[in-house]
Amino acid sequence: MKIEDVICPFCGCLCDDLMVEIEGKKVIRVENGCTLANEKFMGDHRLKSPILRDANGWREVSYEEAISEAARILLDADRPLLYGWSGTHGEAQSVGVHLAELLGAVIDNTSTVCHGPSIMAIQEVGHPGCTLGQVKNRADVIVYWGANPIEAHPRHMSRYTTYADGFFLKDAFRERKVVVVDVRETESSAIANEFMKVDPGGDYAVLSALRAIVRGKRDLIPAKVSGVSREQLFRVADICLSARFGAIFFGLGLTMSPGKNKNIRNAIELTEELSRHTKFTISPMRGHWNVYGSNEVFTWITGYPYAVDFARGIAFYNPGETTSVDILRRGECDACLVVASDPGAHFPQECARHLAKIPTIQIDPHVNATTHLSRLQIPVAVTGIDAEGTAYRMDGIPIRTRMLFSGDYPSDVEVLEKIYARVKEEKG
Amino acid sequence: MTFILNTGRTIRQGSYVERKNSSFYCEEASLLHMNPVDMLELDIEEGSHVRARSSSGEVVVKAIPVTSLTRGKVFLCLGPYANQLVGPETYGTGMPDFKTTRVVIERTEDPLLTVAELMQSCGGVSYED
Repeated sequence: MKIEDVICPFCGCLCDDLMVEIEGKKVIRVENGCTLANEKFMGDHRLKSPILRDANGWREVSYEEAISEAARILLDADRPLLYGWSGTHGEAQSVGVHLAELLGAVIDNTSTVCHGPSIMAIQEVGHPGCTLGQVKNRADVIVYWGANPIEAHPRHMSRYTTYADGFFLKDAFRERKVVVVDVRETESSAIANEFMKVDPGGDYAVLSALRAIVRGKRDLIPAKVSGVSREQLFRVADICLSARFGAIFFGLGLTMSPGKNKNIRNAIELTEELSRHTKFTISPMRGHWNVYGSNEVFTWITGYPYAVDFARGIAFYNPGETTSVDILRRGECDACLVVASDPGAHFPQECARHLAKIPTIQIDPHVNATTHLSRLQIPVAVTGIDAEGTAYRMDGIPIRTRMLFSGDYPSDVEVLEKIYARVKEEKG
Repeated sequence: MTFILNTGRTIRQGSYVERKNSSFYCEEASLLHMNPVDMLELDIEEGSHVRARSSSGEVVVKAIPVTSLTRGKVFLCLGPYANQLVGPETYGTGMPDFKTTRVVIERTEDPLLTVAELMQSCGGVSYED
């Protein structure tokens, strides 16, 4: 059976134009998808049943036993951490937040090692953003800063920027100018009209130099700023100033490098400077397909987008203190529930060591690095394939992912609601 | 010789991200991109093993030449190999320095560990699917 207009649950682009052909409970063909989408839909590498580790090693257990064990571990903990949430749908994220409140736990999502610093900057100076549709139809200058969309968001350029014709850009490839700013040459920089190569850790200074130029202070700019020549800075500033509508997209090259949230603040303030002359917007290139959703759901319920600590009985948020890497580094949490992410692979090893020391429970369809650190893993359906739910695209547009067939696994929501019910029963 | 380690996504890493026990993922996540002149200076041949060491840890990876990389800079795709080297300090932001870790690189004959073995070295117990 062929299913049209399928949503891809891989990256923050949430492409909604895939054609997927299924045969029974298996995807046999994908059209319109990128390499990542094809692997996501065609991959068939799921963990078969819940697994539990005891003194004798790993053994398979029933869902009933796994859910009881998960609830017991969380109830026994004094400071549980509930981490992940970006690879599942909003309904599951919502149950997670309620579970955290009930337990007095910390709940954090993958923004913490992704665009957390962007959120901190947005909380300081706001977010002059727009939807990807506006960019596609209007933007004649695109800036990718610290981002490599060809590898991380493979259809971003063809659906929204470089190669996408829009209402006001009938021949986008020729009419749009693309600037790439990065510390290294990438596939994306190779197709840019202007590639500005910055020394590692030099983004803040380059952003400041561009702000000064836009403010008319060209005479203040030294011959080189963090590896970028004055002439190139003038050229890039002129490209931006000549835009009818410009869009900056930034990636982890800004959020993870020295300066972090202050880099983003500077980039937002550059956007505001440019908007005194023309129209400019700025948006983060969100990675996980529903990481934006985790920020939305956490914020609706708690007032904060990530790193929310319920230990005081109320929601408390303080990045650097209530963020997962810091909690694990301090050896503070005594149990961890990981949902739809892989901190074993993506956190510094000192954090992985702490996850191995404490009872870590993982809810995820696949075996990953965190599996080896866990005591218990519960496999679930994959949202967008055999489960459905709401996700948020990188520009904040909610899109309902679809269930392509009814599979053999429970969804994240079903498993989390059962754990919640057990915990609620015990807590009274 | 000291280098600045940058980490980031690659499309092959993304393709195998749901098969982290596979040899494909291991191969991609453990590929250290180096400038060929730096490799020549350290007498490192393409595909040979090197030990990368930072103030937070060390890991054996496989070096490949990438001409577009500036001398003194190396790149590993994000994942468990890179994170053996990245420190957990976040300077009050929640975000470690994933892009600018100082590492020392030297030749080694030691074997490359699998993802499961790396996690075992962190105190985990390997699960073979």
